[in-house]
Amino acid sequence: MERSFKEEVAKLTLGDGEVFHGEGILAVTKALLQSGVSYVGGYQGAPVSHMMDVLNDARDIMDDLGVHIETNASEAGAAAMLGASINYPLRGAVTFKSTVGTNVASDALSNLASAGVKGGALIVLGEDYGEGASIIQERSHAFAMKSQIWLLDPRPNLPKIVEMVEHGFALSEASSSPVMLELRIRACHVQGSFTAKKNRAARYSTRNLLQDPDFDFGRISLPPSTYAQEKHKIEVRWPAAVQYIREHQLNEVFPGEREDIGILCQGGMYNATIRALQQLELADVFGASRIPIYCMNVTYPLVPEEIVQFCAGKRAVLVIEEGQPAYLEDAILATLRRHDVNGVKVHGKDLLPMAGEYTGEVVVTGVAKFVDAGVALAAIVAAKKKAAELFGTLLPTRPPGFCVGCPERPVFAAMKLVEKDVGKYHVSADIGCHTFSTLPPFNIGHTVLGYGLGLASNSAVNTMFGKRTVTIMGDGGFWHNGLTSGVANAVFNKGDGILVIMKNGYSSATGTQELPSSPQHSEHKAADMSIERALGGLGVDWMRTVNTYHVGEMKETLKEAMATGKQGLKVIIADGECQLERQRRVRPETANKLAAGKRVVRVKYGVDEDTCTGDHSCIRLSGCPTLTVKDNPDPLRRDPVATVIEGCVGCGLCGENAHAAVLCPSFYRAEVIQNPTLWDRAMRSLRSAWIAA
Amino acid sequence: MSLPERTFTILVAALGGEGGGMLADWLMHAARACGYPAQATSIPGVAQRTGATTYYLEIFAAQRELLGGREPVMSLAPSPGNVDVMVASELIEAGRAMQNGYVTPERTVLIASTHRIYATVEKMQMADGRFASERVLEAARQLAQRSVLFDMRQLAQDSGTVINAVLLGAMAGSGALPLPREACEAAIRSSGTGAEASLRGFAAGYDIAAGARQAPEAAPQALPLETADILALGEARLRDYQGTAYAALFRERVATLGQADAELIGEVGRQLALWMSYEDIIRVADLKTRASRFERVRREVGAKDDEPVVVIDYLKPGVEEVASLLPPALGRRLRAWAERRGKLDAWNVGLHVKTSGVSGYLLVRSLAWLKPWRPHSLRYAEEQALIERWLAAVRTAAPRSTALALEIAQCATLLKGYGETHRRGRSNFLAILDALVDKPASADAAAQAAAIRKARAAALADPEQKALEKTLGRPVTWLRAENTR
Repeated sequence: MERSFKEEVAKLTLGDGEVFHGEGILAVTKALLQSGVSYVGGYQGAPVSHMMDVLNDARDIMDDLGVHIETNASEAGAAAMLGASINYPLRGAVTFKSTVGTNVASDALSNLASAGVKGGALIVLGEDYGEGASIIQERSHAFAMKSQIWLLDPRPNLPKIVEMVEHGFALSEASSSPVMLELRIRACHVQGSFTAKKNRAARYSTRNLLQDPDFDFGRISLPPSTYAQEKHKIEVRWPAAVQYIREHQLNEVFPGEREDIGILCQGGMYNATIRALQQLELADVFGASRIPIYCMNVTYPLVPEEIVQFCAGKRAVLVIEEGQPAYLEDAILATLRRHDVNGVKVHGKDLLPMAGEYTGEVVVTGVAKFVDAGVALAAIVAAKKKAAELFGTLLPTRPPGFCVGCPERPVFAAMKLVEKDVGKYHVSADIGCHTFSTLPPFNIGHTVLGYGLGLASNSAVNTMFGKRTVTIMGDGGFWHNGLTSGVANAVFNKGDGILVIMKNGYSSATGTQELPSSPQHSEHKAADMSIERALGGLGVDWMRTVNTYHVGEMKETLKEAMATGKQGLKVIIADGECQLERQRRVRPETANKLAAGKRVVRVKYGVDEDTCTGDHSCIRLSGCPTLTVKDNPDPLRRDPVATVIEGCVGCGLCGENAHAAVLCPSFYRAEVIQNPTLWDRAMRSLRSAWIAA
Repeated sequence: MSLPERTFTILVAALGGEGGGMLADWLMHAARACGYPAQATSIPGVAQRTGATTYYLEIFAAQRELLGGREPVMSLAPSPGNVDVMVASELIEAGRAMQNGYVTPERTVLIASTHRIYATVEKMQMADGRFASERVLEAARQLAQRSVLFDMRQLAQDSGTVINAVLLGAMAGSGALPLPREACEAAIRSSGTGAEASLRGFAAGYDIAAGARQAPEAAPQALPLETADILALGEARLRDYQGTAYAALFRERVATLGQADAELIGEVGRQLALWMSYEDIIRVADLKTRASRFERVRREVGAKDDEPVVVIDYLKPGVEEVASLLPPALGRRLRAWAERRGKLDAWNVGLHVKTSGVSGYLLVRSLAWLKPWRPHSLRYAEEQALIERWLAAVRTAAPRSTALALEIAQCATLLKGYGETHRRGRSNFLAILDALVDKPASADAAAQAAAIRKARAAALADPEQKALEKTLGRPVTWLRAENTR
C-alpha cells in the first residue's frame, strides 16, 4: 500500500476527552467506532481511500471491538453488504467515491432503501467534484432523491463532521432509512482537531454473535411488499426523518443584523460562504455575519418549516448550492410558493454559475453580486488581467501522468509504433492509471465508459471496423467488473476484439491497494487468485503474457493479435509490477545491501548530448518525468537536447523505444557498480587502459 | 493583546512526489505548538502521479486560550486576493498561481523556486517548446508584494535533502510567517527520518530568504555568438570531423556569400557547420568512443570515483545505414531495392553494445576508423549535393532580401535526427525548398520569407506533417517504414 497508517491507527483508540488531530476522512473513521458500528466496507477511490486503508491497518483494534472489515469487490458489493442492517440491529458503514461509485452501487442502494433498515446504515461518499477530481462531474443528490436516502452535507470542520456521523446512525434508525454522508475532496483531506469519545462496542458483532435469523417478507423487494415499502417511505420514514432533523437541530441558523436578506447554503459550502462574507467585510473572523445564514447540514430531506421561517419577511435570499441541477433552489422556490411566502426573491443560479466547482473566487463573486458589492473584486480582476498580459499565453498545463518507470507506459509506446505500421485503430480505454494514455504524449484511447467497462464498451464498435480494435483494461477494472461484463460477455457473444490487461498487481491509481491477483497478499486475504486462470476458465484460448518493458515484443504481439485468422477474444496480459510498489520494496533492500558493503548495480539511462539532435521523438514515445530536455550545450545548436535527470529508476524504456522505433543512437544504459569487488576493479583497470590506448 | 482580524493564509503549489504533504504537516505542527488554531487541506487525488497539486493552510495567529471558546472559521479553498504567502516548488507553478489571481501586490509574499520541471507539452515539441522563464520572473516582480526567488531545488540537492525543507526555510526566513523559526525546526525534528538533512536545507533556505546568505548563482545565459566565433567554431568542428581540407571547404562555402549581411553569414555558417558534420555511423561511433564521453557519462550518472561504470549503447543499424556507407551507385541500388520491398527499416539489427568493454569498444571504434572512407560514401555525395543546392538558394536570395535569405538558411534546422526522423525532416526541407524557394507563389520577397517561416513552423508543429501539408496545400511524400504505399 502506498501509505502506511501506523500513526493514524493509534488515533483510532483515543478515549473520552482526548484530542484527535488529523485528516477528515480519518476523523470519520474514528466517528464510526464511537458510534458502535458492527461492520465497515467499501471500495477504494480518492478521496476516501484512506478510510479503507487505515481500517485494514487497524485490524487488531477492529478485532477487539468485534468489527468486521471488508474491502468489497466493488461499490455494488459494498452497498449490498449494508443488507446486514435490514433485518438486524447492526450499525454498518460503507464508503466509496461518488458519483461513479454510487452509480455502481445504485442497484443495491435502491433495494436497501426500499426495504428499509433496522440498524443504522451509513454511506460515506467522497464527492469527487471540482479541482482535483478524476471523474465525470455530477452530484450525488439525485441518488438521495430517487431512493429516499437521506443526505448529510456537514459544515467542513472536524467536530461537525464527527457529530453528523453520529447523528447519521441515529437518523437512520429513527427513520428506518439509509443515510449518505457527503464529503467533498478538500473536506476529506482537511487537517483539523476534535475532542474524541471512547469507542463503543456494538451490541452484536463478531464477538457477540446473532442467534436468530429474522424472516420478514415485508422487507423483500417483491410485490406487494415493494408497494407497501414505497408508501412506508413517504408516510412514515420521511416524516420521521424530518422530525429527527428538526428536533436535533441538524440544520443551523446563524443570525445576522440584516433582517431583509439571507443566505441559504449547503453545509459543505458554509466555510466558503463565510470567507466570501469576510472578504466583503460582512463577517468577522469567527464567522459572525451581518447577513443571516441558514446552513443545511442535511440537504435531503429538506425541512419546509425551517425554510419558511428563515425566508419569511425577507426581501431576498441567496441559495449557495454547488452543482447542477439546482435541486435545492428549485425545492426552496416550490416550498415558499406552497407556503404562500411570495414576497421574497430567491437568487441562486442567476448570480452563481450553474455548473462547476464553487471555488473561493466563484462564491465571493456571487455573494458580491447579491449584496451589490462588485467593486470589492476589482483588485482580483486586475491581478489576473495583469498576469494574463505578462504571460501573453496560457501557461503549459501539468496534468497527472504515468510515474517514473511505470510499467504501463511502454505498452502505449508499443501501441504508437503499431499505429505507424498498420495505421490508426480504435482503442476503448478504461479507468485506472492507464487512462493517462489519453493525455499527451500518447493521446491513445477513444472512449472511457466506466471502471472495468472497457471491453463492454468495445463490443459494438469492434464490429463496425474492417480491422480489429483494441481494449485496455487494468487488473483493478478486471476484478471490479471486467471479468463478467467484459470478458465473459465477449466470449459468450463471440466477440473478436483484442483485450490488453495491465497486470501491475495493485489498484494503483487509488493508492496501490491489494487486488485478488496481487503478487503478495496480507494474511487476511486469499492467496493466489490469478487472472490467467480466470480467463482460461471462461474459455479464452488466445492468451499471451508479455513483459511490458519489451516494447518490440509487445508491438509484435499486438500486430499478431490484429492479423491472426483466429476468431474470438484475444487477450494480451501486459505484465509489469507497479513501479511505486516495486521501488517501495527495492529501495530499502538496496539501502541495506549498500550498508552491508555488498555489491549493488545501480542502473540509470542517459542521452549523449553530442549525438542528440533535439527532435524529441523519444519524448513523444515516453513522457517519462525523468526524460526531459535541457539547454543544448553545443553553442552552435539552439534546440534543447533530451536528457535523463535524477530519479530515473532504470526501467529501460528509453533504450527499448530507441530500438523498437529505430529512433536514435543517443541512449545509453549505465551500470554503476557500487561496492565493487576485486574482479570489478581489475576489469575496470583493464578496460580503462584499453580505451585510453 | 488584540486578536488578528483575519486568518493567515498559505497556498502551496507543488508537483506530485515533492513532499508538499509533509510541508503542510510541518506547518500544522508548528502552528499547533504555538497554540494557534490552524487548518490544512489538499487535493491530492491522482495529482500525486506527477501532476500539479496544491495544499492550502490557514493559521489564526492567536493562542486558543485567548479566544474564549470561539473558533475562527477557516476556508478550505484559497480565494484570489486573499493569500498571504504563496509558495511554489517550481517556476511555472508560481506562474499558474499568478494566472489564477493568488498573487496580489496588496498582500502576497511569493516564495518560489526558479528551477524548471518541464511539462510534457513543453518537452515533446519538435523544436523548443519551453515556456520562457523570464516572463514568469517579470510577472513575479510586478504582482507580488515581495518575493523570494531562487533555485531551491539546487539548494536542496546541495544540502542533501528535498525541496520542501528549503521551501519552509525560505518561508520562515522571509519573515512573512506568523510562526517562529524554532517552531518550524521543532516540527521538522519531530518528523523523524531525514530530519537532520531537512534541517540543513531549512537553514540554508532561511538564510537566503533572510538575506544572510547569497542564493546560488544561476547559470549565466549564453550570449549569442558573434559571426567570427561561429565560423571559428564551425571550422574547428569540421577539422575534427573530416580533416583540414574539409574545414577549408567550409570556409570556402561561407566565402561564396561575399559581402552579405553579417547575421546572415553567421546563420549560414552555423547551419552549414552542423550540416557538414552530419551524424552518420562513423560520427556517432567516433563520439561514443572518446575518453571525454566516458568521463561525461560517469558525471551524469553520479558515479563515485571508486565505482566502475559499465556503458551499454543501444544501436540499431539497418539497410539505410549500410547503404549510406557504400559507394553512391551501389548504395543507391541497395536502398532502392529495400524501398521497393518496403523493407528499409525491416532488417535493423538491435545491438546492445557494451562500449565500455574491450570487444564492444573495439567494435564501435572500428566504425569510427572508417572516417577516411567517408568522402566516397553515398551519404556524403547526397549531403554535399543538397548543401550546394541550399547554399545556392541562399546566395540567390541574399541580394534580393537578407530576411528572405535568412529564412531559407534556417530551413536547414529541419534536418535532424536519425532514421525515420531524419527522412521526415529531409522531406519537409525538400518540400519547402521545392514549393516556396524554387517556385514561390509571390515575387515579393517579404511575402516569400513569411511563407517560408510559416511553413517551417508548420513542419515543426507535428510529426505527422499534417500542419505542413495544410500550409503547403499538398501532400509531403516520403518513405515510411512499411506502409509506404
